[in-house]
Order: sequence, then C-alpha cells, then structure tokens
Amino acid sequence: MAHIWPIGGGKGGSGKSFLASSLGRVLAGLGKKTLLIDLDLGAANLHTLLDVPYPVKCLSDFIHKKIPLLENTVLETPVPNLYLISGAHDNLDIANLPYEQKVKTLKAISKLNYEWILLDLGAGTSFNTLDFFLISQNSIFITTPEPTSIENIYRLVRSIYFRRIRQYFNAADFKVLEEQVIQQFGEGSFNKPDCIMQAVKRAHPEKSLQLENDFNSFGFKLVLNQLRKQDNIALGAQICKIIEKHLGFQIDFAGNVAFDDRVHDAVCQRVSFLDRYPYTRTAYDLRELSKRLVNSTSEQLLMRYS
Amino acid sequence: MKKNFANLNYYEILDVTPDAAFFEIRHAYNAAMQMYRADSLVSYSFFSLEERQEILNLLEKAYLTLINGKERKNYDKELIQLGILENVGGRAGAKRSAGIYDASRQWGRAAVLKNNTTSLREKVAQNKRINEILSKQEINGADLKAIRNELGVAIEKIAGETKIRLDYLISIEEDKVKRLPAAAFLKGFIKSYLKCLCIEPSDDVCVRYMDGLARIGKNN
Repeated sequence: MAHIWPIGGGKGGSGKSFLASSLGRVLAGLGKKTLLIDLDLGAANLHTLLDVPYPVKCLSDFIHKKIPLLENTVLETPVPNLYLISGAHDNLDIANLPYEQKVKTLKAISKLNYEWILLDLGAGTSFNTLDFFLISQNSIFITTPEPTSIENIYRLVRSIYFRRIRQYFNAADFKVLEEQVIQQFGEGSFNKPDCIMQAVKRAHPEKSLQLENDFNSFGFKLVLNQLRKQDNIALGAQICKIIEKHLGFQIDFAGNVAFDDRVHDAVCQRVSFLDRYPYTRTAYDLRELSKRLVNSTSEQLLMRYS
Repeated sequence: MKKNFANLNYYEILDVTPDAAFFEIRHAYNAAMQMYRADSLVSYSFFSLEERQEILNLLEKAYLTLINGKERKNYDKELIQLGILENVGGRAGAKRSAGIYDASRQWGRAAVLKNNTTSLREKVAQNKRINEILSKQEINGADLKAIRNELGVAIEKIAGETKIRLDYLISIEEDKVKRLPAAAFLKGFIKSYLKCLCIEPSDDVCVRYMDGLARIGKNN
C-alpha cells in the first residue's frame, strides 16, 4: 500500500506546491515510484513546477468519466520515477466538487499502486480540502513564520479535527450534539474541538473511543517554510507544543526550510530548484526533510475509503 | 484527550519535572512566556483575549510558587496529599542545587552590619572606652582594633561589608606601616572602616589617624 501524504497549509504562497514538487523530486531521486496529485482544485499549477506545460489529460477527465480509471490520467514527467496527475485543464467549476465525485476520487486514489503519493492541496478549509487531508493518517502542514500563515494553520488543524468528529455523526445527531456543547460550555465553545470531544465522551462513549483512536494514530507533521535568518528557529517546535498542550493533538515538527530568493528564480525559469541550486541551505533542508519522511512509518490508510 | 490546561499542576503547566532545580524552573518560565506573551508569534490567534490572560495568570502563579523554596515545599505537600506526587524518599526535604535564582534569598543578610546601625551607634555613644580613644589627639591602628573589639564586630565582617582585603585590614590594625597601601587608598579604607562601625565624624577621625601615621613616618 502506498504512503499517502497530503500536503496543505492555510494560506496561499506558503509553499505547498513547491514543497510537493521538491519532495516528489527527492523521493523519485531516491528510487521511489512517486505520484504527485494536484488537488488544489481550481488553482492547479503543479504541472508548471514540474515542467509539464501542456498536460494532455487531467483529473477532470476521470471525474467526468472521460477516462474511466484514475491510473490512466497519470502523466510522466521529465524526472524518472516521478508521475503526475495534473489539474491544469480541470473544468472551471471543479472547485465545488460534489460529494459523490469526491468519494469516488478518494477511493480511486487509495487504490493507486505507487510507493509514495503526495497530494498537493489547496488553501482554505473547505470540505474538499479537509476530506482529502483525512484520506491518510499522515499529512504535512506547511506554514511560514508569519502571523497570517500561523493563524490559518491553527484554523486548519481545528477544522480537520472538527471534520473528523463530524464524520462520525449524521446531521440530526450532530445538531443535538451542537446544542449539548453550547449548553455545557457556553456560546462559542462549538468552535473548540476539545469541548466537542468532551461532550462526545459524555453522550457517545463508544464513538469517543473510536475518535480518540483515530486521533492517536494521526501522524501529522509540521514544516516551517521560508525561514529567514532573523526568524526564531524554535518556532516550529513551539507551535507543535502549543497544539499538543491546548488541543491535545499530537503534531510532530518535521523541520525548517530556509528562505531563498533563488526559489523565485528557479520557478520563473521553470527548472528544478534542487538541480539548479543543489548546495544551498534550502536544498539541503528539503533533502533532509524527505529523508525524515521516508523514515517515518505508519502507512495504514483510514479504513473509510479503502 | 488530554487534561484541560487549567487542571494541570504547576509542574505540568511549566513543563518541568517535580525535582527540577530552580534554574530549570526559571528557564521553563521564560520559554513559556515566549509562547504565551501577547505579542508572541507562536500563539497568535490561538487564544481569545480572556483565555490568554487566564493562562498568563496561571503561569505567573505557578512560577512564583515553584521559585520560592518555602511555598514550593507546601505545594509539594499538597500534591503528595492528593496523590499526584509520590513522596520519594523524603524528596520534599531533598537537597536541591544551590539556589542562585532563589527569589526568596535576601541580599542584605550577608552584610549583617547594615541592619544594626542604630544599635551600633548607641553602643558607640555609651561606651566609655571608645569615647576615650576617640578623644585622643592621634589615633593608630591599635586604637581602631580596640574600638572594634569593644563593639564586638569581627574583622571578617568588616572585610565582607567594605570589600577591603583582609590583609590590609590586619596591617592597619597592627600598624604594619610598610604593608599599608598608598595614602590615597588608605584614607578611603579608614573612612570605610569607621563608617562600617558607625563612628562619627569619620572624616575627622581619619585625619587624626593619617596625622599619626605621618609622624611615625617622619620618626623613621
């Protein structure tokens, strides 16, 4: 079974696609058969970073049944061992993927036969993004050391946990739960996953047990991107600590990636940053990061979609 | 799901072990402040205004309790009674590393003399022998020593308070003229010595001491 790693972050420009393409290149370079899927629905540009400017097929073809099997939408890239499912020519309404099509896509992704599958997700906390996150127990959050980005990460983490809790209930039960939470903890507490969890524990002990199992098996990683030299290098570890202490969710800090102006140059020239500037701090960080991910285990998928 | 932050004990709040030394607690407090301060990037948007204030108050309380040896002992006892903390081999009384960060330590204590200036002054005024010595035209080191002995102050204490080297003080008291520092320093030393013993007017007594010394020098 493949290692599926969704990569997401709350804010645009934090480096999700760059990280996905760079990790893909490193993993492919290590001889792993790697697939990148552009799930930034409606704002896809992974194909540009991978120098596949004119993709002949894309995810939309699968969703609209032009191509019946997801495997057949896979494109080769100039990098050996690296494959891509592009989102370049997705229909313009793809951002609002209906539920059935999303489930179909999720199921198809979990059946793909690759060693590593990296999902490049869009910014924001729409259901689509959250559900793609929850396809795997592993996922990578990426943030920059700026308040705008960090703010969104906290929101994203909370949303994911909220979404996971929501998945265990039908609409009517959840409505009841909502009222219980507000009654118990007061106005506004419904936005706090920890409050909801306490209410779940009281009303549905067996479900709370399952949920806790889920949460404990999550292998979330945090990457701090675009770290300039004046930034606090301990920031990533502190963010993980605060999430663990106050939300009770385990998140591992995977590492910093240094800021480099030349990333911009490499993107503009549409070449691989890692190949063009292999001896920069940023390239080193990216290679180290990939190594750490390869070494971290836990590959089981959530049973929901497999 | 983990315990609510407000239900954590002080050690858990600061993320230290119950046998942490004072400097570790201080370090942990600084690290926590870096995370929870209002202008911290780490916790930006994570808490509402009230939540943050509550956390900061808790941190403050935890720190001030654990950094104070006495209060920490009491708090430990409470925890032991609640069964949260194990009483490991009289751990409450166990020897902790030197408390250089101990907030309850009082700096004035070492220099005892500062505290009893009034009683010293009374003694100087009432003691006949001291008054006799002070009324002399010239004063030498032996006189100073006699005054000090009358007041019952150890020479080490004077050294401790005035920060004058002990061997200088001894040379002064024993009138070892050759070992004395240069006159400019000596004047200062004598004045400090006299002030330390609350003898007034120190300037005048110092002048008489220096005069005496000058005469000895001439005679030699």
